[in-house]
Amino acid sequence: MRGSLRLPGAGFPIVVKWLKTEPLAGSELVMDKPSPFFSNLKCRECGQLYPKQAIHVCDFDFGPLEADYDYAAIKSVLTRELIESRPKSMWRYRELLPIDGEPSVGMQVGFTPLVKADRLAKALGIRELYIKNDTVNYPTLSFKDRVVSVALSRACELGFKVVACASTGNLANSVAANAASAGLKSYVLIPADLEQGKVLGSLVYGTNVISIHGAYDQVNRLCSEIAGKYGWGFVNVNLRPYYAEGSKTMGFEIAEQLGWQLPQHTVVPMASGSLLTKIHKSYKEFLELGLVEHSPFKIYGAQATGCAPISHAMKRGTDIVKPVPKPDTIAKSLAIGTPADGYYAIHSMKQTGGCAEDCTDEEIVEGIRLLAEYAGIFAETAGGVTVACAKKLIASGQIPAGDSAVLCITGHGLKTQEAINGKCGVPRTINPSLREFEEQVYNPDNASAAAQ
Amino acid sequence: MAEEKTRLWLMFPTRLITRPVIWELGKKFEIITNVRQASVNDEVGLVSLSLSGERDEIKDAITWLEELGIKVEPVEINTIEG
Repeated sequence: MRGSLRLPGAGFPIVVKWLKTEPLAGSELVMDKPSPFFSNLKCRECGQLYPKQAIHVCDFDFGPLEADYDYAAIKSVLTRELIESRPKSMWRYRELLPIDGEPSVGMQVGFTPLVKADRLAKALGIRELYIKNDTVNYPTLSFKDRVVSVALSRACELGFKVVACASTGNLANSVAANAASAGLKSYVLIPADLEQGKVLGSLVYGTNVISIHGAYDQVNRLCSEIAGKYGWGFVNVNLRPYYAEGSKTMGFEIAEQLGWQLPQHTVVPMASGSLLTKIHKSYKEFLELGLVEHSPFKIYGAQATGCAPISHAMKRGTDIVKPVPKPDTIAKSLAIGTPADGYYAIHSMKQTGGCAEDCTDEEIVEGIRLLAEYAGIFAETAGGVTVACAKKLIASGQIPAGDSAVLCITGHGLKTQEAINGKCGVPRTINPSLREFEEQVYNPDNASAAAQ
Repeated sequence: MAEEKTRLWLMFPTRLITRPVIWELGKKFEIITNVRQASVNDEVGLVSLSLSGERDEIKDAITWLEELGIKVEPVEINTIEG
């Protein structure tokens, strides 16, 4: 049998041949199957099936595990009408999410606005543009509330009392908030140099914030050791197969909000590459279930040039993702030098006919300002990356100017104010005098002359 | 001390491809090595390896591998994002 072996730390995919056993039949597994839709965990590499427990790596080949569904069963019950009859949250697609019972954490998460941004479309030079605005996701203003809701709902089902994560900020905020609301004890591990807004945004929920000196790799190692030793529910370690599936809801919502159709072009920021692959999966699932019509769609990945291992591999025409040992960008939430899903993200882009782009820190700031000034949306640095890369993709003709595109904006700008501090001008200060106002700010005579 | 088990990805640089490093590892440290996959070409060797043993012994083994110039990553690598 043929498969690929990749070293995530090196991003080296090497195609090899190896012997492997056939995946276990479903009846041979220890099944806990109250959900008729969410069947098993499945190795993305070899297809081996696993029971729905807090595991994330295939014992056989160390490939990543992901949720596996019975699409025939889902297709027999899930219709547009049923979805539309449900509350406007991400859980309206719950048959396609990896939990057994009813969701218990984050009931209000998701169904964020899909904003038609005509002025920004004109500024970027494209006919039609939508912003999937997860800067207003509940409760912590980032798309991470989607993944955390699923991870913690599943953590409750599996009986965890302590949950944790390693994060550069947004995920920490979301775990802290959602664990607080669910009454779970939580620990968040963060790099010591994190932005103050994101640190406070976790501390306020009463979580245990552990600030760690050292590179991200070292933080990751500590997390894997803790998860293994204490049996905590680490949302992005042993609960990762559940956590990652939450990202699909962003794609489901885009398709529903566009009137049950897929966008021609979707631009997605990439850190590990997971969000991009899950949006691709969401579109494929809606197609398989007949919830949207078949139409061509392309997915594009956006990274900061200071940490662009996936974009650089894509531009080199390879799926060998070379690690970036020392990321150097203001887009810290995207600064993953060793992207675990980089290989899969490249294949999603290739399969759909999309591509990757990256942008400098100056372009990120310009992207943040463009989004704010032309669409009224204040995004964090990852949002600036998405807008800046979309601008370049449109300018180069890779996204045709006559088409329609959706930009995925994943976090609020209040979290990364340091990135644009001093780059948006300063307020003009005057005395409380009308004459001074007219002299220094607004002169009606000059204004009307200028208008003529 | 309690026995522990850890799962690792190893990347061998070109100069170490032909050296029997995993055999040496088993001789040097009181650990059990279990290779789950391996791939070697002219430039690089990749091995997915499970190590069982006492915690300190495993840590010393990993340090030794890294000092040799082998990149060692837990399979849980890249937990940080967002």
